[in-house]
Amino acid sequence: MNIDLTNQIAVAISELKSSEVVKKLVNDCISKGIPVEKIVENGVRRGLEAVGKKYEMNEYFLSELLYATSLADAALGILKPHIKLSQKDTGGKIVLGTVRGDIHDIGKNIFKMLAEVAGFEVYDMGVDVSSEAFVQKIRETDADILGLSALLTTTIPEMRNVIERLRTAGIRDKVKVLLGGNAVTKEFATEIGADYAALDVVEGIDTCRKWFGK
Amino acid sequence: MMTPRERFRAVIHFKKPDVLPWLESFYEETIVEWFGEGLPAKQVTVIDWAMGRHGTMLGNWPSLMGFDPYSYFGCQSFYGCMLPIDIGPIPRFKQRIVGETDRYLELLTETGAVARRLNKSEYGWYSMPMFLEFPVKDRESWREYKKRLEPRDQRRYPKDWDRDSYIRTFEEYQRGPTLLRFNGFYGFGAELMGIPAFNLMFYKDPELIHEMAEHWKYFTIETLRDAVETLGKWIDMVYLWEDMAEKHGPCISPRLYKEFFLPQYKEVNGFLKKNKIDRIMMDSDGNINLLLDSIIEAGITGVWPLEVNCSMSAMEIRKKYGDKLFLIGNLDKRELAKGGAEMRREVDSKIPMLKQTGGYIPGSDHLIHAEFKLKAFREYVNHIKELLNY
Repeated sequence: MNIDLTNQIAVAISELKSSEVVKKLVNDCISKGIPVEKIVENGVRRGLEAVGKKYEMNEYFLSELLYATSLADAALGILKPHIKLSQKDTGGKIVLGTVRGDIHDIGKNIFKMLAEVAGFEVYDMGVDVSSEAFVQKIRETDADILGLSALLTTTIPEMRNVIERLRTAGIRDKVKVLLGGNAVTKEFATEIGADYAALDVVEGIDTCRKWFGK
Repeated sequence: MMTPRERFRAVIHFKKPDVLPWLESFYEETIVEWFGEGLPAKQVTVIDWAMGRHGTMLGNWPSLMGFDPYSYFGCQSFYGCMLPIDIGPIPRFKQRIVGETDRYLELLTETGAVARRLNKSEYGWYSMPMFLEFPVKDRESWREYKKRLEPRDQRRYPKDWDRDSYIRTFEEYQRGPTLLRFNGFYGFGAELMGIPAFNLMFYKDPELIHEMAEHWKYFTIETLRDAVETLGKWIDMVYLWEDMAEKHGPCISPRLYKEFFLPQYKEVNGFLKKNKIDRIMMDSDGNINLLLDSIIEAGITGVWPLEVNCSMSAMEIRKKYGDKLFLIGNLDKRELAKGGAEMRREVDSKIPMLKQTGGYIPGSDHLIHAEFKLKAFREYVNHIKELLNY
């Protein structure tokens, strides 16, 4: 019965029902005493995973992805006061930012929303971030993943500088480097020594999950 | 010898031009970079056929426009002649600086958005701002904004608007292609609300999207009616800005496109076609493959720029859709910028075959960016001219 109720949240999110429907299901779960972790895992995350698959299959597109994320966000808004996820539970920390010289953040922000819902702890450094600032933040947070975004062909060379800076700082081996953004290609990631280039946000989240065996 | 207009028209109508034009667009900072790389700073070009640029004027004599990369390199542009009809918000928002730091400048734009750009000439310093705020957020702000989109406002037409004199001007002086440029239905909404908010609204408040699309249809038809009915036969192409796709695919599904935009497009494009404007090009970056059936149904007849890094292939589109779409671009900007063998391979693998099929204007698959060095661009220009028998 309880599994069915959390499953209904997953279905509501993946079928893009209204936020009222999702909120009601979440409140029902809470009132029935279902552990918050189960609601998040079996309901919200599973729902978003299904949305991600539909996106990869070209059944859903950006508008559906954004709407589903807003539903998940509404659910987490209710659950947040009840969530006491330890660092261990989050599965990983991601330092995220758009590289110096580039002030675009639409893709980065969508990735951030999905990553948080997927259980990662995200440190969003915003846009136009210097390589030195990335290094400092990784040291400060002991992050597992560095997500670099760039929209422009003119700014992706800065990603190479960031990786070089990680090397000279002696922390390149401590973080996985994930690239994203319109100008990025898998060949470019290989060329500059990044770990992976995600061609869309869903692929980016899947990659992070795989790195943490989630 | 054909005029530039005849040449352009021939291609987009799948007829044979005397020589195939090629078309490029440039980011402004690219040109500035190139002056530092040896572009002759004293070069000032007389545009001997253009009747105005950027839709702001319709002069009837050759103009001195400063440096003009299109004439200088010999390529076609999208800016030859735009009809001078103002389809922006009237009154304009008063442009002003709303924030400034050592690194950023934040401007309230004339269309009511707040745009941030880098304050320094370091990278993409003015071509690609980041928008922080948009003028339309919900129904209330839309209805407020809508008051600025009144088609009967006399300021939308030039002060000297006179049908007979404009007809005479076109008859006597038109040598280059004439374009009519306005935003498509997705581009219109995304520009007013921002991409994430606009995409969300299809689910959060679909009626608002319908209302906005309905008004944009009414506004464009009624604003352009006089110009289109007067000058239709001289207008060679409509340029619709959409930018409705990302690398993975369209921002909205074909289902949403059909539900929200298809009926509106049919009316607008029907109005244009009734007035002898039968070439309508959509400008959309990203992977639009899944929308091609729908846009053809909507009456769109051409696409640009066909970004290779977003899985767009002119050859595949040609095979699948034949002469239903004329195609512009699709030469991989990344390969072109490498110069040498990579550039030649990219050009040689596409242009000869697409030239055979007709309905194709070669060009980079987006604006020429500042990482494209002048030396490599000159090499590309020389190669393409040789290939096209200039």
